[in-house]
Amino acid sequence: MVAHTDISDMLGAWALDGCDDTEAAAVRAHLRECADCAAQARRLRSAVGWLGTDRVEPAPAELRRSVLAAARARRPPAAWVTLTNAYADQVALLDAALADMSPVDWRRADSRHGDVRGMVGHLASNDALLAAELDLPAVPMPTTDDGRAMRVAWRTQAEAMLAGIAKADPGRTVRLAGPGQRPVRTLRDALVQRAFETWTHRDDIGAIRTIPPPEQIQRIVELAVALLPAALRVSDPAHADRAWRLVLQGSGGGDWTVPAGAARVEVTIGTDAVDFARLAANRRQPRTLPHTVHGDQELAEAILRVAATLGCD
Amino acid sequence: MPEDRADDVRLHERLLAGDDDALAEAYDRWSTLVHSLAMRITADHAAAQDVTQDVFVHLWQYPDRYDPHRGALRGWLCLHARSRAIDWLRRRGAQHRHHTAAAAIAPPPAEVDDGILCQTVTKVVREAVAALPDPQREAVLLAYYQGRTYREVARDLGIPEGTAKWRLRTALSRLADCLDAEGILER
Repeated sequence: MVAHTDISDMLGAWALDGCDDTEAAAVRAHLRECADCAAQARRLRSAVGWLGTDRVEPAPAELRRSVLAAARARRPPAAWVTLTNAYADQVALLDAALADMSPVDWRRADSRHGDVRGMVGHLASNDALLAAELDLPAVPMPTTDDGRAMRVAWRTQAEAMLAGIAKADPGRTVRLAGPGQRPVRTLRDALVQRAFETWTHRDDIGAIRTIPPPEQIQRIVELAVALLPAALRVSDPAHADRAWRLVLQGSGGGDWTVPAGAARVEVTIGTDAVDFARLAANRRQPRTLPHTVHGDQELAEAILRVAATLGCD
Repeated sequence: MPEDRADDVRLHERLLAGDDDALAEAYDRWSTLVHSLAMRITADHAAAQDVTQDVFVHLWQYPDRYDPHRGALRGWLCLHARSRAIDWLRRRGAQHRHHTAAAAIAPPPAEVDDGILCQTVTKVVREAVAALPDPQREAVLLAYYQGRTYREVARDLGIPEGTAKWRLRTALSRLADCLDAEGILER
């Protein structure tokens, strides 16, 4: 048992990590039992915490980026894990659907891409656009028309992409996939789009229609809403830069005002969130989409028409 | 200006939840402090950057090692930065120690701050250190900047170990009083 005064004398050295291990252990044991010394120790330790701050020398600006990147590489941010998992889930679901297909199924006609093989090839080539942006190695598509080889190549690439993006900066900019102008967005958005397109093509082959979880639907809607103003400016300038509101019901629903925070809107469009996501994939048509319009009818039609052009087809 | 511990609690919760924006906020708030400290101890740009990176990556990787109810995050980061910087000094070897030791125990220069760190705090700390009697300042700065144990301090200064312990304790206690009087010290 070390005497109280011995420990008390030692507290300064202890606060500066200047005791040997045995002494430090004795101090710690004493502090658990002696409230006076514990209070004093906290006070001295706190003074040490300020000691080196007598001069200012800011870190170089470029250090911030490398610190945040190193941190993310050690422990991926939770929101990013959620997004990569959402994409991985869609990859697994489509892969399971393709695994069950017979040679006849693979040749089933698809209005956009010839048959299912064409469709998987199209999906893989859109995935490859992102892989290339991230400098990930390209996985060559098979030269045969064997659907099973196609499936393996697509999945191999998707898995390589998942491994590659796990440690990437979600905020870095990349080009989205799609026909025509490919908007520059964050990698975060690109990953939402990859999961979205993968789901859309699973819908195309008529596999069991499992709808993505509400959070994923919401992310798809958010991306579509974010892309709409620029898309309107390009394809329908007369209806661009207007104020409107989208009120979506059902799974993944919500309320979006464009531009955000606009006090007054010219039209409010109401529909189902999953239907709206399918519209954005060009899998639903505005005229058959059950929806409500309050306000400028023409503006609503323009918005829905342009929304249907946002997908990757 | 006592720091708002509730801020630390909230930031800590976000770090635990894996919110990387919280790390960016912590970095923006304290990187100047951590880097200044590392620079002061190592006097080496590359080492100071490595220490700064280590400190914030460690905070992100092991947020559960910090307990906001036991102390301010600022102080925790500083203690951590100091210990990493001292490790660097030790790794670098004893041959350089004599030279930097002389620089470290000199009273801090009364330079004008141009940084973003709260200038009042910097000034208060500098003045509090400068106001210490020379023998106490010498002892505490040797221990702080060079990572010397009290036995090494005693040997370096040619004083009994008991005197070294007493000087360290008294110096820190005076500093704590000064910082407390200015409302800086966390309670």
